[in-house]
Amino acid sequence: MESGTSIWERMGFRKSSGVAEAGWGHTLVVAGVSFIYFLPVLFIIFTAIKPQALALSVPPTLSPTSLFGLIPDQFVFTPTLENFGSVFSRVMTAGGQPEPTGFDRFFFNSIVIASVSVLLALVLGTLAAYGFSRYPLKGNDTYLFIILTTRMLPAIVVIIPVILMFRAAGLSGSYLGIIMLYTAFNLAFTIWMMKSFFDELSPDVEDAARIDGSSEIKVFLKICLPQVIAGLAATFVFGLILTWNEFLFALLLTGPDTRTVPVAMNQAVSSGGRGTDWTLLAAIETLFLIPVFLVTFFLQEHLLRGVTFGTVRK
Amino acid sequence: MSTIEVRKITKKFGEFVAVRDADLSVAAGEVVCLLGPSGCGKTTTLRMIAGLERATAGDVVIAGQRMNDLSPEKRNIAMVFQFYALYPALTVGQNIAMPLHHEGIGTAEIAVRVNKVADILHLSDVLDRLPGQVSEGEKQRVAVARAIVRDPNCFLFDEPLSRLDVELRHSMRGQIKAVLSNLSKATVIVTHDQLEALTMADRIAIMRDGLIEQVGSPHEVFARPANIFVASFIGTPQMNLIEAEFKGYGNGKATVTFDQQDVDLSVNPAVANLRPGRVTVGVRPRAFSVVPEDTADTIDAMAELIEPMGAETLIHARTKTGSDIRVVVPRDKKVKTGEALYLVPDPAQTHIFAEDGKAVRV
Amino acid sequence: MSVTPVTSVPRTARTSPALLEVSADNWRLAILVGVVVSALGVAALPASVSFWIVGAMAAMVAAAFVVNAYRRRYYGGLLVTPAIAVLFVMNIFPLLWSLGLSFFAYQSNQQSIRFVGLYNYIKVLTNDIAAPDNWNALINTAMFVVLTVSTQMIVGFLLAMLFAKQFPLRKYLLILVLTPMMLSVVASGVFFTYYYDPTFGILSYVMNSITDGQFILMDSKAGAVAGIVFADAWMWSPFVMLLVLAGLVSVPKYLYEAAAIDRVSAWRRFWSITFPYIRGLLMLALLFRTIEAFKLADLVILLTKGGNDTMTISYHLIRIANEQNKTSEGAAISYVMLFMVIVLTNLYLYLAKRRNREA
Repeated sequence: MESGTSIWERMGFRKSSGVAEAGWGHTLVVAGVSFIYFLPVLFIIFTAIKPQALALSVPPTLSPTSLFGLIPDQFVFTPTLENFGSVFSRVMTAGGQPEPTGFDRFFFNSIVIASVSVLLALVLGTLAAYGFSRYPLKGNDTYLFIILTTRMLPAIVVIIPVILMFRAAGLSGSYLGIIMLYTAFNLAFTIWMMKSFFDELSPDVEDAARIDGSSEIKVFLKICLPQVIAGLAATFVFGLILTWNEFLFALLLTGPDTRTVPVAMNQAVSSGGRGTDWTLLAAIETLFLIPVFLVTFFLQEHLLRGVTFGTVRK
Repeated sequence: MSTIEVRKITKKFGEFVAVRDADLSVAAGEVVCLLGPSGCGKTTTLRMIAGLERATAGDVVIAGQRMNDLSPEKRNIAMVFQFYALYPALTVGQNIAMPLHHEGIGTAEIAVRVNKVADILHLSDVLDRLPGQVSEGEKQRVAVARAIVRDPNCFLFDEPLSRLDVELRHSMRGQIKAVLSNLSKATVIVTHDQLEALTMADRIAIMRDGLIEQVGSPHEVFARPANIFVASFIGTPQMNLIEAEFKGYGNGKATVTFDQQDVDLSVNPAVANLRPGRVTVGVRPRAFSVVPEDTADTIDAMAELIEPMGAETLIHARTKTGSDIRVVVPRDKKVKTGEALYLVPDPAQTHIFAEDGKAVRV
Repeated sequence: MSVTPVTSVPRTARTSPALLEVSADNWRLAILVGVVVSALGVAALPASVSFWIVGAMAAMVAAAFVVNAYRRRYYGGLLVTPAIAVLFVMNIFPLLWSLGLSFFAYQSNQQSIRFVGLYNYIKVLTNDIAAPDNWNALINTAMFVVLTVSTQMIVGFLLAMLFAKQFPLRKYLLILVLTPMMLSVVASGVFFTYYYDPTFGILSYVMNSITDGQFILMDSKAGAVAGIVFADAWMWSPFVMLLVLAGLVSVPKYLYEAAAIDRVSAWRRFWSITFPYIRGLLMLALLFRTIEAFKLADLVILLTKGGNDTMTISYHLIRIANEQNKTSEGAAISYVMLFMVIVLTNLYLYLAKRRNREA
């Protein structure tokens, strides 16, 4: 009875249009494309587990395994975890003992600064977005556009007054300063995104809850928030990715104690005038990638649903 | 020839069997309704005919050609979806014109055909509007218009009227029937509304749990239900189904015991071959005549609740042991609550169902 | 942007307090006092003290607004105030400050400051020595905006098409494609210099083994631009993909089924059914990516240092403002740039709205 199905079709290459779900054949195609797209990242990860001496070999070494002889020996290297160790502790001066690099502190800083500022922006931004959506002020659109404008100028324009301001207030190099700055940095995006989600919700449900005697706070917490979880997740992920990797503000406004990983990474790999330390850079970046990668992966489902920004009406 | 034939078709979703060995054939110009409660597999069957689902086993033959492996595009069919599936970004006119682009005809010809169909379905005034800007009834007509604008092998309707209100539904039933009768194509309509099926179909296929229970004309499924499920599903108010003990058969009458009363019922002679045991007696509420006194042929009950339905009156009667019997009598027959009723079932409309649920009939 | 209907909230009619009445909700008085005290503080006290005085006054005004909003049930104001306050202190105030600076002659390494009106603007736009560099950087930026944004849109769109269907392992493959977006620009930028390196790089290795001679990507303007555009598009196409994908998966399945029944061609199916669902999101992706592309600097710094005529306005700005300390001149350039971005985004928003109305 399945005589009409060719091997081709059984592998998942259905002849039919976009109606049906695609099968393993489609997976194969997408896997190929995704792999190619991922290659530069993979190369960084492989560099992180390369012996330092092979970092700049010609021809470049490409793989820690020969894949059963598929890859010629000249492209294969023996993997090592040494580089990850030297992220945290390595010999700084010729002939000296290994010293701690302080990277544990920088990772801690990155995690604290990014998560606190993104969460703070999420709380303030969501409240504001709810306000803009439900209790429009006079000139609502103008306010929103001004908020968007804050993201249009290059960071450098804001940064000179901010440096002066921070210096005056003694906020330079403090957690509070950089966290507040990043919070502001994320607010515009958060407000725009969350507002479009609140705009999509039907106010009928909220009015019904009000008639049932719920307070305004309850309406917000119990009725509205649960409906925009996907939006919150998507906003969180985008904010985290941007803040996590932010370089310029961090470079100019963090001190030795509050330095974040991107800044420290930049200094670590180019210090000593010996040119880029490729394996070290790759090891730092690989470690640095893991937290955002995991967060994105676990919030992925929400991300897809949440990212519509409410522009798609069903 | 525009025909549809479904042979031993089965659809499994993992372990779950949605449709099992369904057989159905629809002749040219015939309208067949797939009727059943929700989740019975009727929509899945329709989607397999359309090619939107792949049959796990069995064959779909449309216009004499086996279509199992062909995509919907290649089957040359027209379908009206339950939620109409109108293209939201296109105007009503563009929606109707959509199936015509494949045929390689000129813009002018397309316009002529769209206008013709729009005329038939009274859509000429809304051709330039978007689906979001027309009423529910108009949306439904657009969906029908899009189906009939070309000349397909067959028509498929998935719950076409379920989103309309009662009045619209009534008028659309008539309109669709009129349109279909002019087209002489094989048509399958899926519905859960028996009135829709009874009024629109030439034949009805009643489905339950993936099985086709009975296929027959509206008269057949109403008058000669094949089993208890069909009997209970077709007809309003529902057929009375009374659990009883079959004692024996003689003189064209079956003696059954229920509620501690022996009743002699005129039934189908096939009952003679039945061995004594448990049976179900089915009598339609309209098939009772109320007689003045208690005899051996009567079922005795007491009127408990009276619901006037306009031309008729529905009486909920209760037997001595508490079984509920629904009786419909003409309006002029006055019955009071608490009154004793002696009911004689019409022999032609009295059905005996054996223990396996199948009707005992010649 | 759609404006939702105002939800009905019972509002008690309370009259605003008179200007000079001392009351917790008298925000007019709070502003008046705040401005006067701040001005006196800034004039009389050193900056390290006056900053906190101004901050305290801002907090007082904000508190007055909050009390006022609460007493009169202006929930809108109440909800919006904290976010606006943070934005004001950290973003809008510095922006206004630099806007102010653009009308002065000021260099961050010198003490003198002098009001010069529009001189900075005239200088950056028309001066024989300064203006050509600015214009050149602007033209380069425009080129990068067009190239990177269009590449991202196309690549992101094609990737989204690949992921639009359900298929096994989709979740795991999707995260692979999203990863470039998560990399730190420092690391990925530096690694792109490696990929493009004429001696050690993979690209040159491959090119050299195909053709004879030494392949150096960054040798020409076209090569340098291609290298930057490629790196930027690689990092940010996933962002566009995510938006487009969200649009694609929101198209109801039954529409495609209807299209199959109606024998609609793939081309027509895309334009009549799919595209309307992703149009808004494409517009949004275009908006965000254009704003970001205007700010392109880090990759240029890492890959070419502005060589081979790849200087962008943002990098130029960093040089002028940070390395040459020409603060007010930099501010003037950035406001010229802001003006252009605003015009462009408004054009986008206008077009998006018009198409929505047509649809």
